[in-house]
Amino acid sequence: MEHGLFISIIYAFISLSVATIWGLLLGGIALKVVARAHGRFGPPVWQPIIDIIKNNARRTSISHGIMYFLGPVFRIAGGMGTFLFIPFIFGSSVFGNFSFAGDLFLVMYFIFFGQLGMALGAGESGHPYSAIGVARGLSQMTAFELPFALSVISLVIQYGTLNITSIVAAQQGGLLSWTLFTNPLATIAALISLQGMNMHNPFSIVIAPQEIPIGPPTEYHSNFLGLLQTNRGLFNIAKLALFMNLYFGGATNIAVMILKTFLLYMLTIFIGASFPRFRTEQSIRFFLGVPTVIGILAVIVIAYL
Amino acid sequence: MVNPIYILVIALFTAFLLPVFDKMGRKYSLGLFFISLAAIFDITLQLAWQSYNGVLKANIFTAGSIPPFSINLRIGGIETFLITTINFGALLAAIYLIPKFNEQKVYAMMLFLTLIAGVNGLILTRDIFNVFVWLEITSISLYALIGIRQNHKSLEAGFKYIIASGLASAFLLLGIIFVYRLTGNLNIDMIAASNTLLVTKGGLTALFLIVIAFLIELKPFPANGWALDVYQAAEPGVSAMVASIVAAGFLYVFYKLIPLLPIYWFDILILMGMLTFVFSNITALKQKNAQRLLGYSSIAQMGLLVAVLLIIKRFPLHNDLPYNLIYIAGALFLNHFLAKAGLFWLAGIIKKDKISDWSLKGNPTLVIIFAFFVFALVGLPPFPGFWAKWVLINRLAQYNLIGWIIPIVIGSLLEATYLLRWFGSAVKQEAAEPVKLPLHKIIPASIAALALIMIYPAFANSLVNTRIIFQIPLLALAMMAILNFLPFRLQGILMIAALTFFGWYIFPLAEGIVKIFEFIFIGGGIVISIVSLNTNIKRQGYYEFLLMLILSLAFIPLAKTTLEFFLVWEYMTISSWLLVLRGKNGEKPALIYILFSLAAALMILTGFALSFAETGSTSLQYLRFLRHYALPVYILLAAGFLVKAAAVGLHIWLPGAYAEAEDEISPVFSGMMSKIALWGFIMLMGIMGTRALGIFEISNLLGWIGVITAFAGALMAVFQEDIKYLLAYSSMSQLGYMILSVAMLSHLGWTTALYMSVTHLFFKGMLFIAVAGLVSRVGTTKMYEMGGLIKKMPVTFISVLIAIIAVSGVPPLSGFGGKWLLYTALLEKGWFLQAGLSFFAGAIAFLYLFRLIHTIFLGQLKAKYREVKEASLWYLIPQVIFIGAIMAVSTFPNLILKPIMAAVDTQFTSSINWEGYKVITTLGYWNGNAVMIITMGVFMVPLIWLLSRVRMVQKVEQFNIVYAAERPERPETTHFAYNFFSHYQKAMGFLVNGQVSNFWNSVSEWFHSISSMVRHIYTGNSQTYALHIIIYIVIVYTLLGVN
Amino acid sequence: MTIITILGFLLVIIGLWGMLTRKNLIRMILGFSIMDTGIHLIIVSLGYIKGRTAPIFNSELSVAGAADKIVDPIPSALVLTAIVIGLAVTALMLVYAVQMHRQKGSLEISDYEELKW
Repeated sequence: MEHGLFISIIYAFISLSVATIWGLLLGGIALKVVARAHGRFGPPVWQPIIDIIKNNARRTSISHGIMYFLGPVFRIAGGMGTFLFIPFIFGSSVFGNFSFAGDLFLVMYFIFFGQLGMALGAGESGHPYSAIGVARGLSQMTAFELPFALSVISLVIQYGTLNITSIVAAQQGGLLSWTLFTNPLATIAALISLQGMNMHNPFSIVIAPQEIPIGPPTEYHSNFLGLLQTNRGLFNIAKLALFMNLYFGGATNIAVMILKTFLLYMLTIFIGASFPRFRTEQSIRFFLGVPTVIGILAVIVIAYL
Repeated sequence: MVNPIYILVIALFTAFLLPVFDKMGRKYSLGLFFISLAAIFDITLQLAWQSYNGVLKANIFTAGSIPPFSINLRIGGIETFLITTINFGALLAAIYLIPKFNEQKVYAMMLFLTLIAGVNGLILTRDIFNVFVWLEITSISLYALIGIRQNHKSLEAGFKYIIASGLASAFLLLGIIFVYRLTGNLNIDMIAASNTLLVTKGGLTALFLIVIAFLIELKPFPANGWALDVYQAAEPGVSAMVASIVAAGFLYVFYKLIPLLPIYWFDILILMGMLTFVFSNITALKQKNAQRLLGYSSIAQMGLLVAVLLIIKRFPLHNDLPYNLIYIAGALFLNHFLAKAGLFWLAGIIKKDKISDWSLKGNPTLVIIFAFFVFALVGLPPFPGFWAKWVLINRLAQYNLIGWIIPIVIGSLLEATYLLRWFGSAVKQEAAEPVKLPLHKIIPASIAALALIMIYPAFANSLVNTRIIFQIPLLALAMMAILNFLPFRLQGILMIAALTFFGWYIFPLAEGIVKIFEFIFIGGGIVISIVSLNTNIKRQGYYEFLLMLILSLAFIPLAKTTLEFFLVWEYMTISSWLLVLRGKNGEKPALIYILFSLAAALMILTGFALSFAETGSTSLQYLRFLRHYALPVYILLAAGFLVKAAAVGLHIWLPGAYAEAEDEISPVFSGMMSKIALWGFIMLMGIMGTRALGIFEISNLLGWIGVITAFAGALMAVFQEDIKYLLAYSSMSQLGYMILSVAMLSHLGWTTALYMSVTHLFFKGMLFIAVAGLVSRVGTTKMYEMGGLIKKMPVTFISVLIAIIAVSGVPPLSGFGGKWLLYTALLEKGWFLQAGLSFFAGAIAFLYLFRLIHTIFLGQLKAKYREVKEASLWYLIPQVIFIGAIMAVSTFPNLILKPIMAAVDTQFTSSINWEGYKVITTLGYWNGNAVMIITMGVFMVPLIWLLSRVRMVQKVEQFNIVYAAERPERPETTHFAYNFFSHYQKAMGFLVNGQVSNFWNSVSEWFHSISSMVRHIYTGNSQTYALHIIIYIVIVYTLLGVN
Repeated sequence: MTIITILGFLLVIIGLWGMLTRKNLIRMILGFSIMDTGIHLIIVSLGYIKGRTAPIFNSELSVAGAADKIVDPIPSALVLTAIVIGLAVTALMLVYAVQMHRQKGSLEISDYEELKW
C-alpha cells in the first residue's frame, strides 16, 4: 500500500488530525466523568481542544537549553511516529498509515522514543520533580511492559505473524474471532497493562498531582505545553488503536473505531475514578505479580497446550 | 671424553684445599672456589656437548672392576641434563652468596663444594649404598650451611631438619641392608633386573624403606613441617639451593628407584604426590611469610613432580617415554628449578619477611624478574611450565588417567591464587624506601629469569602443531618493551600503525564469521587505541599489554588447533589481567579476574585434552567427531566460555575488571574482549552443534543462562552509583543477549548475535570512551557528583545520547535492529518465555540508561564544575568515528546485515528475505531505512513549527525553576541523582542483593579456613614432626598393601 | 634372625622412643645415637654367616678359597661407612645443641617452636 510521497503525507496528515481531535475529546470526556464521580460539574468535553489552541498560540521567552527545547519535539514526534506505524483503520488507505515500515515490535519500541526524549528535555530543566517523575515512570514502565510483552508473544504464537494488519485480518468474521475470545488470557494481561500505560489511578504515579505537582512537564509552559497536550490526545489514541487492533478485532470504519476506543478508554476512566494511587514500588510489584502470571499462562496455553 | 668423576674429585679435593689457600687470604680461597665451580661447569658443558652429539659413554666404572664388585656411575641424557642444570644453578647460587662467603669462615665455601659434590654424586651413582653416602654428604653439608647463619631461628630449623633427615637415613640404611641381604647386590640396575626381590614380603618391606626414605626427603604432605621451617629460616641463598639443587638430587634418586617398584604401588604413591601438591597449595593460602610461602610452593611442586615421574611410567607407550620425560617432567623441573631459586634470591634482595611488605612499584627490573618467576610457576605461557602442563593433561586424558587431572587443576589454581595475589600486591605497593640492588644478588636472579624465557622455544618448537605466527602477541610485547624509550605518544602511534598493518595483512586471509570478528578486534582496536594518545606521560607496560591483548584477540579466531587456541587464549588472559592490574584500584579486581580466567582456561584445557584423547588429533575441527567424550568436552568448553562471558553466577570478576581498569582500557574490554567468549561459543557450536544432557538440550540451557544474564546484568546496572560499574554490568547484560542468540543455533539467531556484537562495539566502545573523556575532566566516576554537564561537554553529551538510544533499542537507531532480530529469532525458534524475559531485561535497560545520561549531563550543575571544559580531541575523534558508524548502519542496515548473513549462510540455511531495505522473516518485517526517514519527518515537522514560534528567547539562570516560589539552596540538594531508583530497589532489589558475591566469598572463606585448619598440624615441635614422619611411614606402608 | 639382629631392632626402637619422647636436646641426640647403633648392629648381624671368620686376609686366611671361609665382607664395609657418617651427624647435632643453648639458654625442645604454621 505504498503511494506517492505526497499522497502519503496528505493521508498521514488526515489520519493524524482525526486521531488527535478524537483523542482530545476522549480526554475531555474523561475529565467530565471523573468530575461527576467527585460530585462536581466538570469542564466541557471540548476543554482540552481549547487548551491546546490557547497554549500552542502562546510564545515562550525563556529556555533552559537545547535538550529542554527538543524534549516536547521528541515527545510529539514519538506520538506521531507510534501512531503512524499502526494501521489505524483496517483496509483503509487513508488510515493505513506507514505500517509498511515495520511490524508490531517497531511500534512497541517506538513508544519509548517520545518518552525518552521528553524525559531528557525535562531533565535539562533541572527541576527535581521532573527527575523524580521520570524515575517513577521508567520504573513502572518496565513493570507493565512485561505482561504486555508476554501477551503480545502469545498473540504472535497464535497468529504466526508480527504484522498488525494480518493480526486484524485474522480477527475478521464475527465477534467470536476477536482475540478477546480466542485468547482471553492474553487479552486480560494486556488490558491490565493498558491501565498502567494510561497512567490513571491507581497507576498515576508519574504525573501524580499534589505529590510532585505534575511531574516531568513541571517546567514546560506555553507552546511547549501545547505540544505536550496535543501529544497526549494523539498518543492516547495510538495506544487505544493498537489494543483495538490486537485484541478487539480492529476497526473497518471510523464509527467502529470510535466506539471501540471509547469503551476501552472508559474502562480506564472507571477504574481510575474508583481507586486511590499506588506507591511506586507497590505498582511495580502489582504488575510483576498476577498480570505477569496471567501473561506467562497465556504464552504457555497457546504455545504448549 | 671427560670423565664425570672429575666433577666429584674436583669438588671434594678443592673443598679440602680451600683452608690452605685461605691462609694466604680470602681472595685466593674465593678465587680457587670459583675456579673449581667453573671447572665443574665446564666439565658438565663438555658432557652436554658430547651427549648432544651422541658420543657420550653411558657407564663409568670405578676401581677397575665392574658391578656388582664396584660402584659405577652413569651419565646418560637425563643425567647430563640434570648435572648441567644443577652446576649452572650452583654457579649462580655461589655468586649470590659471595658476601656471605666473605664474612663467614672458609668452612662455608667448603660446605658449598661438598654439597655440590653430594648432589652430583646422587645423580651419577648407580650403587644404592653409594646413594646413601652421597645423601649423607649432601645432608651434612646442608645442616651445617643452615646452621651457619647462627640466629636462633635457623638453628631451630636446622635441628628439626637433622632429626627428620636422620630418621629418614636410618630407614634408608635399614632398607639398603635388607635389600642387599635378599639380592646379594647393591647395583640398582641389577636389583631391578632380578625380580626375586619383589615377590617376598620382606623384600617389599626393604624396598619400601628405601623408597619412603627418599619420599620423606622430598617432603611429602603432611610429614614436612621441618622442611618448611628450613625454607623459612635459612639464608635465602641456602633456601634457594634446598629448593632447587638439593631437591633435584633427591628427585632423581627417586626416579632411579621407580623401576624397582611393583606396579600396584604406583597409584598410592601418585596419590601421595598429588596430596602434597594440593594440600601444600591450600595451606599456603594463609601464609604471610615470604620464604615460608615459597617453601610451601616448593613442596607442592616436588609433590607434583613425584606424581608426574610415576605417572609417566604409567603411560602405556614406552617408546614415547623420552619425549614425555623431557616435555613434562623436564619442563616442570626446569621451570621450578629456575623460578623457585630465583624467587628465593628475590626474597634476599627485598629483605621483607611479610609478603604484604613487598613493594616493587617503580622498580621495573625487579617487577619483570618477579613476573617471570611467578608466571612460570603458575604455568602461564610462554614459560616451560605451560607446555609441560599442556602435554601432561593431554597425555593423562589420552591414557585414560583422567582422575589425576582434577588434583592438578585444583592445585594449580590454588597456587595461582597466592602467587598472583602476592604479585599483585607487590607491584601495586609504593615502596617505603628504595630497594637496594646489589650486583651479586641481581645477577643470578636476572640470569635465572632470562634462562626461563630463553629455554621456552626448546619446548614450544617441538610441539609441531603450533604455527609460529601464534607467537606474534608475545613478540609484539617484546617489541613494544624495546621501544619503551620513545615518547609515549609516539609509542601509541606506532602501535596503531602496527595494528593497521596487521589488519591489512590478516583481513584478506580471514573468511566468513572470522572476518567479522577480525573487524571487531582490529577495527575496534585501531579506533579505540586513538584515545590512548591523549597523554604523553609514560605508563609502564601500557602499550605493551594493550597491543598484546588486541593481537591475542585477533589470533584466537584464526587458531586451527587446540594448542594454538589455548596459547593465544592464555596470552589474552595475561595481557588483559595486567591491564586491569595497572588500574589505580586494580589489585583486587585483577586477582578475581585472573582467578576466574585461569579456572576457565583450565576447563578449556581439560576439554581439549579429552578431545585429544578420543580423536587423537589436536585439530579443532575434530571436535565434531567426538562420541564418547562429546558431552564432557562440550560442557567443559561451554563452562569455560561462560566464565569469560561473565554469565550470571560467574560474573563477579566482570564489574571490577571493567570498571577498575584504566579509563582508556575499559572500552577495549567491553567493546572487544567480551566478544571473545561469543567467538568461543560460535566455534564450539559451529563445530559441535548441541548435545543433550539428560532430557535437556545444552543449547537450551545456555539460552536460559544467556537471558538470565541479560536480566541480572541489567538489574544490577540499575543500582550502580559508579558510572563505570554501571556500564560494566550493562556489558554483562548485552553479552547475555548474545549468548542467548547464539544458543538458538539458527540463522536468525546467529545473525542477531553477530549484529549485536558489531553494534555493541560501536555504542559500548563509544560510551566507555565518552566516560573516559568525562572522567578526565571531572575526576570522579560517581554519577551523583556530576550533573548539568550538557552545556560544558556538548559533544560528549551527543555521543552518549546516541549511544544510549542505540543501546536501548529505540528506533530509528541501530539498536532496534538488534532487538527486532532477537525477538523475531526467539519467536521463530519457539523460545517464548525467553523472549518475554529478554523484553523485560530490555525495558530495565531504560532505567540505567536514563540514569546515566540524566545524572551526568542533565539536572543541576555543581559549582565546582562551572569551569569544566569539553574532553580533549583524542577522546572525541574515536567517538565521532563511532557516531558515524552507528548513523550509517542505522540508516543502511544492509551495510552490516548483508555481510553478516552471508557469513552465517555457511552454517545455516537462511530464513530471511530482502525487499530493498526491507528485511522479511517468516514472522515480521523491518525497513530500517524507511523508519529512519519517517522518524526524521515526524521529528522535523514539530521542530520547524516550534522554531518558527521562537522570538526573543533568553537563556535563564540555573535556578530559575518553579520551586514552590523559592530558589533552591544548592545544586547538591536539588540534583535528584543518588539512589535514583530507590523504589525499584524496594520492589526488585532483593533479586540482586549480592547473593552471588556472597557465594564466592564463602567459597574463598572455606578454602582459607581449610588452609588455616590444615596448617595447624605444623606445631613447630621437632618431636611432633618426627612423629608425623613415623605415622606417615606406617600409613603409606598400610596403603601400599605390602602385607 | 639372630639374637644380635633382634637386639639391634630393640636398640632402634629404644632410640626412636628416646628421640620422640625426651624433651631434652642432649637426650634426643642420645636417642638418635642409640638408634644408629642399633642399625649398625643389624647391618653387621645380617652379614654374619655362622662358623666363618672375619674377612681379613692374614696368615690364617689365604686369598685362595677365602670365599667359603669368611663372612660376607660387604656389610662390614658398609657399617664402617655408616658409623663414620653417624658420628658426623651426631657431632653436628651436638654442635647445634651447644649453639642453641648459647642463643636461648635452654635445652628444652619445647622452647624451640617459634617457626610454625
